[in-house]
Amino acid sequence: MEVHYRIRRPIALEARFHLRGFTVLLGQSGVGKTTLLKALAGLVPAQGTPFGGLPPERRPVGYLPQDLALFPHMTAWENVAFPLRGKDRRARALELLSRVGLQDHAHKRPGELSGGQRQRVALARALARKPELLLLDEPTSALDPLTKGQVLSELVDLLRREGLPALAVSHDPVLAGMADWLVVMGRGGILQEGPPEAVWAAPAKVEVARLLGYENLFPVRVREDGVEAGGVLLRLPLPPWARPGQRAWLGVRAAEVLVVRQDLPPPPENVLEGHLERLYPEGLAYRGLFQGPLALEILLPRHVQERLRLRPGQPLRVVLKPRYLHLMPGEAEE
Amino acid sequence: MDPLFWTALRLSLEVALWASALLLLLGLPLAWALAFHRFPGKPLVEAVFLLPLVLPPTVLGFYLLLFLGPEGPWTRLTGVSWAFRFEGLVFASILFSLPFALTAYREAFLGLDRNLLEVARTLGVPRWKVWARVVLPLVWPGLLSGTLLAFAHTLGEFGVVLMVGGSIPGKTQMVSIYLYDLVQALRFREAAEAASVLLLLSLAILAAARVLEAKGRAWRSTTA
Repeated sequence: MEVHYRIRRPIALEARFHLRGFTVLLGQSGVGKTTLLKALAGLVPAQGTPFGGLPPERRPVGYLPQDLALFPHMTAWENVAFPLRGKDRRARALELLSRVGLQDHAHKRPGELSGGQRQRVALARALARKPELLLLDEPTSALDPLTKGQVLSELVDLLRREGLPALAVSHDPVLAGMADWLVVMGRGGILQEGPPEAVWAAPAKVEVARLLGYENLFPVRVREDGVEAGGVLLRLPLPPWARPGQRAWLGVRAAEVLVVRQDLPPPPENVLEGHLERLYPEGLAYRGLFQGPLALEILLPRHVQERLRLRPGQPLRVVLKPRYLHLMPGEAEE
Repeated sequence: MDPLFWTALRLSLEVALWASALLLLLGLPLAWALAFHRFPGKPLVEAVFLLPLVLPPTVLGFYLLLFLGPEGPWTRLTGVSWAFRFEGLVFASILFSLPFALTAYREAFLGLDRNLLEVARTLGVPRWKVWARVVLPLVWPGLLSGTLLAFAHTLGEFGVVLMVGGSIPGKTQMVSIYLYDLVQALRFREAAEAASVLLLLSLAILAAARVLEAKGRAWRSTTA
């Protein structure tokens, strides 16, 4: 399915992208993600396809707003039965609730359910009207951080079982990792779309990289067989668009900055010498800051730190492997 | 107790009942429009509806008397003068209590989560069903509380009804005016009895309104 929408108010934007299975639209807050979703649901005036010009009542979409908007005075099954008509609406509502695994909670009010359960009630209610497309606004925001991953993967599994295309807008990279198709939105429009692995590995712009959680992003100048940054030459295969002398952005994930032992001979290229400025635990891993010709955030798995026993202040040698360096076009922002 | 007291109280209750029932019909669409729609001149419209709150009741009563009196535009339009009659009392009470009811209704509507209404629309449900199953069940405590306030306020009005209705015992003498007449006649014992009944009645109504407001807030807090 292809979406092409033009919106003037409350935010001016034009968005053109594809929907494939569970599609995640990633964007910073304020770029108009919610507005786009509401426009697709018919709640914000817009022009475009699909469903253009139809009032919300006649659009075959299920819309789950960020707060889910369950009716607080109705029980779970009454919420699900709300869009249904006919004598068997109760039976059909219960059947929908069992499809989302909530048959035992049919008589509870939304206030008595957990965030994930409320989400599934809202999903069952949306499914009741047999939508062709599901719209989810920040589906991770109502969830407990501890169970977020599990609840989300159950939700995505459920959507795949139902065979229902869904568009979820979010600024949460965790959700983006579960997508069948990833769309990245910036101010005014779409920046990039594609299969998630492709977008993760090769963000087209520095804004995309930032949204995807690239910790290390810096402006560089392209040279003959690499780039120059902070007075050092980093070798990497240049993409076809890169011309020597041009300005560009280089991105590298903290987890892909490799720390190497100093008592062994250094690898042939892209070795930086400096010291470890900070180091603090993050879950079972360790996050640190390397200070040298470039300042780089690093992320050490537990087994690496247990072997190296690094301490803040000590000298440090890091390597930037060419295949983990990602070059993007664009001038420096500041 | 003086039988005239019961007659006056009964008249007051009847006027208040009619006025608050009509206010509910009239005030709901008005409050909805004020809560959810933008239109040119909205602040002025709001000011006009709130005017009875600050206007001396005698001023409002004076204009109403001119409007409803034998020479007034209402009489010319309809052929009947409502001054010094039951209908005139109800008419005046509606205007006088409108700000109370309107403010309460508008608060009730503003407390409604707009997301609920938007999602209800995306569920393909006809508007009457959204009203019947979502809007009314969530706002009725607020609506009823506003209606009770308007009712109590009408029971307590004095200046406006005196101007519009005068004090014809058994016809337009409302209980507040009856009390005033007792004091004028230095019948303090009867006045004390009448006053205590009114005091208890008003207190009971206000307490009921507060209970309803708390109920309305309870829904509001579970909406999120």
